[in-house]
Amino acid sequence: MIRKEAIGIISKKIGNQSIVAANGFISRDLFEINDKNSNFYMIGSMGLASSIGLGLTLKNPKKRFFIFDGDGNVLMNLGSLATIGAMEPKNLVHVVFDNSSHESTGGQPTISKKIDIYSVAKTLKYKTYKATTKNELENILRKIKKIKGPILILIKISKSNKKSPRVNIDPIKIKTRFMKAIN
Amino acid sequence: MKAIIQKKVFNYLLKNDVKNFIGVPDSTMKHFIDEGFKKNKILITTKEEEAIGIAAGMSMSRSNSLVFMQNAGFANSISTITSLVQLYEIPMIFLIGWRGFLKNDAPEHAKIGKIQPKLLQALSLQYKVLNEKNWKTSSDWALKLIKRGKPCALILIRDFID
Repeated sequence: MIRKEAIGIISKKIGNQSIVAANGFISRDLFEINDKNSNFYMIGSMGLASSIGLGLTLKNPKKRFFIFDGDGNVLMNLGSLATIGAMEPKNLVHVVFDNSSHESTGGQPTISKKIDIYSVAKTLKYKTYKATTKNELENILRKIKKIKGPILILIKISKSNKKSPRVNIDPIKIKTRFMKAIN
Repeated sequence: MKAIIQKKVFNYLLKNDVKNFIGVPDSTMKHFIDEGFKKNKILITTKEEEAIGIAAGMSMSRSNSLVFMQNAGFANSISTITSLVQLYEIPMIFLIGWRGFLKNDAPEHAKIGKIQPKLLQALSLQYKVLNEKNWKTSSDWALKLIKRGKPCALILIRDFID
């Protein structure tokens, strides 16, 4: 499974629930496959999707928020996973697309082959799930519907040469339409 | 700044609809943070950029936020300020402790203390330096700016040596 396929499966299954998408190819893939007002595309500030997601979940306890993150992002801001574990937002679903590489910058390796993000998240009080196939991912998405968060879904993906175009919406517009969708 | 004034600043901001106080502690603003803990309004993060991310999520939920930090943390945060807070125009108040203001402060604060005003200007991040006379008008200024959707900073001078 490549990232684009996994993003397609999740974003279609979850309907209009909000997504905070990390910068780089994650935002670009989501934008190309399933653009919605309720998607917040990050352009810069790598690593902070989970922190933005935490702020959103704490202030909107009745709405579920999905965070689309990468292994590089998570490793850059591991402290955020600790804060999420401590705050225990029930409505936070943290999806990590793990290809053990910084694909957006040319495929340089991350350390996620040696450091298991799934186990780290479990230690940090997340409810954890792991998928390597489309079938497994679909089963997990069904399973978590009634599970209280924080939830982490680690999806092992393979690298791909398919490049999605850049998000071409003005950042302020991304924000205002997202705010309208959630408030 | 005296403990009693720091507490007044906290309570004034709280009374005026600042709902979230998120950040990494600084001894310069110890009494401000202590007052926030008494009111159960403080969220301590592992680093300053994380606090800014959380505040961004809260601010987009239409809940006013303040992010507090020492100037060392402000230096850490520059890219997050430019590529998140300013790029998307997300309102929040920064409360930044000014270490290195006094010449005989500890050596690790000397350089950042010296360049702090220049960094703020280079970022075009509007700010006011708080003192015991202007704290209320400066707080009003910051509250007005975030209501208009603009981020801004209040600076708290480190006026003692320990």
